[in-house]
Amino acid sequence: MLTAERNPSSASAPPLADTQNESTQDESRLLEVLRSGDQSAANEFHDRYAARIYRYIRNLLSSAVEADAEDLLQDTFIALAEALPYFRAQSSLFTFACAIAHRKVQSFIRVRARRARLAPEVYAAERDSAPERHVDNDVKRALGALVPEYREVLFLKYVEDASVAEIATVLTISEHSVESRLARARRALKKRLEEK
Amino acid sequence: MLLEEEAHTAARLKVAMQFAPPPADYLEKIRRRFAERLSKVAAHPERVPIELDGRKLEARLGGTVLAAALRNGVRLMHVCGARTLCATCRIKLDSGAENLAPMETLEKVSLRYHLSVSSRTRLACQARVLGPIELESVFPLCGDLPGE
Repeated sequence: MLTAERNPSSASAPPLADTQNESTQDESRLLEVLRSGDQSAANEFHDRYAARIYRYIRNLLSSAVEADAEDLLQDTFIALAEALPYFRAQSSLFTFACAIAHRKVQSFIRVRARRARLAPEVYAAERDSAPERHVDNDVKRALGALVPEYREVLFLKYVEDASVAEIATVLTISEHSVESRLARARRALKKRLEEK
Repeated sequence: MLLEEEAHTAARLKVAMQFAPPPADYLEKIRRRFAERLSKVAAHPERVPIELDGRKLEARLGGTVLAAALRNGVRLMHVCGARTLCATCRIKLDSGAENLAPMETLEKVSLRYHLSVSSRTRLACQARVLGPIELESVFPLCGDLPGE
C-alpha cells in the first residue's frame, strides 16, 4: 500500500502498529486541512512524502544530475498544490503525488530528448560530466542498464510495496499492462544480473 | 522457491534503490513554496491552473479553454468564432482528460466531420474546464498583433 512511510530510517515514519483504517482516516483528515490551505498540514504532508517522492524521481532518471531531480520535486509539489482541490480521493495521496511526479518526469525526458537532438554536443558533454549513478554493486549496475519504465515499475512494486492497481493508477495504464511490464522488468533485471 | 527468489530480489532492490534526500535548505524552500501555493489555491477556488503548449494559464472553473487562452493573452485560432464549425481551435490533451466536461453533440459532430476521432482531441471553444489540464494546440497559435 502506498499510504504510510515504510522506510524505518525515516524520522517521520508513523508507528508500524497503525492499522489500515487509521491511516485512511488520517489521510482524509490531512486532505481536508490541505484543501483549506493550512500551513501545518502542508508541512506535515511535505515531511511525510517529500523524501519518498524524491527517491521515486531519482530512480526514474538514469543520467540526470541531482539538480534536475530537485527541480522536478519542486515542480511536483507545486502541481500537487494546484491539483489537490480536484483530487477525488479514489487513491491514496502518495499514489496521486506519484502520478503527478510520473507525468513531470515523462515530460522532462521528452523535452531533454528533443533538446539533445537539436544540440547533441551540449548534451553529450553534460552526460559525460554527470556523475555515474549505480556504480557500487551489481544490482545498481543492472538497474542502471534498464529502461526507465522497468526501473519505475520495479521501484513501485518492491520498494514502495504498491499493489498492481496502485501502480496502474500512477502510470495510467491497465492492471494487465502493469503485470506484463513487471514480468518483463523482472526478466530484464535477471538477465542483466546474469550477464556480469 | 519462486516466492523466496522474489523476496530476495525485493530485499536487494530496496537497498539498491535508496538515494540520499536533497539538501535540507532546498527541502525547506520546497516546503515554503508548497505551503504558499496551497493557501493561494485555497483562497481562489474558482481559478484553475491549466498548461497550454507549455505556458501556464489560469482558467475560470466551468469556463471554456478558448476563453481562458484569450483572457491570458494566448491567441488560440478560432476561425468560426467559437461556433464548432471550423475545428481550428482543436486541442490535444496531454493529461487531465477527466477534468474537462463531457463532450456534447455539436462538438462530437464537428470533430467527426473534421476526422478527429482521437479521444484526446477536443474543441477549445466547447471544452469546459473542471480541473487542471495539460494540453497542446493542434494548429499554430496566431502571432502577436503589430504593436503588442
